[in-house]
Amino acid sequence: MNLIEILRSIFINIKGNKSKVFLTTLGIIVGSLTIVLVLAIGQGSQASVEEQFTSLNVGTIQIMSGFGRPGPGMVKLSMEEVEAIKEEAPSIDKVAIMINGRADVNYYNLSNSTTVGGVTEDLMEINNLKLEYGDFISAENNEYADRVAVLGVDIAELFFEEDISEAIGSRITISGKRYEIIGVLKRLGDSQMRGITPDESVFVPYSVAQRYIVGNNTNPNIIALAKDINNVSTGIEEMENILYDTFKDKSEQFMIVDAGSRLESAKASARVMTLMLFSVAIVVLIVGGIGIMNVLFVSVKERTREIGIMKAIGARKKDILLMFLFEAIIISAVGGILGIASSTLAMPIMNYFEVRVVPTSFGYLLAFGFSVVTGTFFGYYPASKAASLNPIDALNYE
Amino acid sequence: MDNKLIYMKDIVKYYKMGKSTLTVLDKVSLEIQEGEFVAVLGPSGSGKSTLMNIIGCIDVANSGEFSLVDEDMMKKNEDQLAYIRNRVLGFIFQRFNLLPKYKAIHNVAFPLLLRGYNKEKAYSRASELLEKVGLGDRMDHKPTELSGGQQQRVSIARALVGDPKILLADEPTGALDSKSGGEIMDLFMQLNDEGNTIVLITHDLQIAQKAHRIIRVKDGKIYA
Repeated sequence: MNLIEILRSIFINIKGNKSKVFLTTLGIIVGSLTIVLVLAIGQGSQASVEEQFTSLNVGTIQIMSGFGRPGPGMVKLSMEEVEAIKEEAPSIDKVAIMINGRADVNYYNLSNSTTVGGVTEDLMEINNLKLEYGDFISAENNEYADRVAVLGVDIAELFFEEDISEAIGSRITISGKRYEIIGVLKRLGDSQMRGITPDESVFVPYSVAQRYIVGNNTNPNIIALAKDINNVSTGIEEMENILYDTFKDKSEQFMIVDAGSRLESAKASARVMTLMLFSVAIVVLIVGGIGIMNVLFVSVKERTREIGIMKAIGARKKDILLMFLFEAIIISAVGGILGIASSTLAMPIMNYFEVRVVPTSFGYLLAFGFSVVTGTFFGYYPASKAASLNPIDALNYE
Repeated sequence: MDNKLIYMKDIVKYYKMGKSTLTVLDKVSLEIQEGEFVAVLGPSGSGKSTLMNIIGCIDVANSGEFSLVDEDMMKKNEDQLAYIRNRVLGFIFQRFNLLPKYKAIHNVAFPLLLRGYNKEKAYSRASELLEKVGLGDRMDHKPTELSGGQQQRVSIARALVGDPKILLADEPTGALDSKSGGEIMDLFMQLNDEGNTIVLITHDLQIAQKAHRIIRVKDGKIYA
């Protein structure tokens, strides 16, 4: 029998069995839907991780403080360590100190409680901050403790709405003291700067923040940038030595982390999640495939007489095998396509509920491919059973 | 060279049931010539259906000689037998055995589709045959939409569509009322007049008497 006629016979059959075929397909639909969604979720979380880290140089090394017991034994980082690192750590290119606190920021009658970061000039480059207007905090600002501020874009928009360029030269009040705005940052989106979202923050000179904004109990962090990625580990060693020289045993109150390893571990956990979800999808598909196999077995049983008739009028083994196998493949391919179609309906809904999904054509192909493979694999056994039926037994089957 | 289409010598068919053996055909020999209309007559359980199935190549004898059109059937593999069923034989069953989901025309065309004919060619030949058996206006009906007599005509058309050497009919009127049964028998006689070789199985002497020759089967043996 030629292929077209085999297919035509199958389609006549499927048409006569629509509801049963749909039920058969359900497992495959769900399986293929799951594969697409899982890969889209995985891709989405990879993308969020990468986005979060765009503002981060991989060479970034951070000294975080506050790991000791609070009390008199507590030691703090200061500008002295920054100077020491600048002079004694050849692997380090740039270094800055930063101290964070929350404060009320006012502009005329507008008020907002927000994060204020006291920083030194190099923070801008280390954290990939970009200016929309004006300048960043300079070394001189720190030296003379100038009351100047650089606004994150969200804060600038809050106070100046559309016309954020007007911010430059205007004055805001932070914790009751007036500051001149000297710059507005470009939008950065989610960032991995520790404890701070630049878009929603205000930056002032470190010396000013220490004096007027944060209390005595706040610990500054030091952020450094290695000359390049290969200098990160020697940079960490150099900084550890400097901390030990200064604080001796108490240097254990600090922890040094580098961005590269943070990025890697975040990516790795996103990958693990994708892999986990993917294996769930495979299980779903296998269950769907077993469903197909069962329905095909029932179908072979139900159609035993038909198989006998076809054999009696001259159908060869191969004809019967292809008929049942192609039926399984067609059903599962249609199921795969329906699954992909329903995923395109499901993804906007997931996005609406803030599950980030990024569909890929790889995901679609994989879902389709796996559906067809499942159908073929689980369809083969019932099909070969049907093909090897003895014509006389099949004809006499009740 | 004679015209013997079917040749059987000492055909034995038995079924093993546990430890006991049930012999259904016990050294059956027969010859059927081209153009004959032969009735195989016997009560139920006599082995006549088994004989028919072996001639029809849907069952295989345990021993003996059996050839169709001078070809040894005892040595054919399954696909070769399928080829014989498709080209040499036309089968007509008591219960019609039509494919329920297909229209009459598709049922009739099916043996040709199995040969690899395209749909147009197979359908045009099938519609000729349906016209011939008087169902020109029922081609697009499914079996369930046809009466018993009409279904049997469809199955006769299907048996004829591939120009077989031998028509095998297993109790073709068994499931029909006497009127449509009579019509079917008239059709068989007409087909025989046109030169078709027919082997008909029946338990009904009246029907058997319409054939040219009667072969009586009882307890797995032939009584001429």
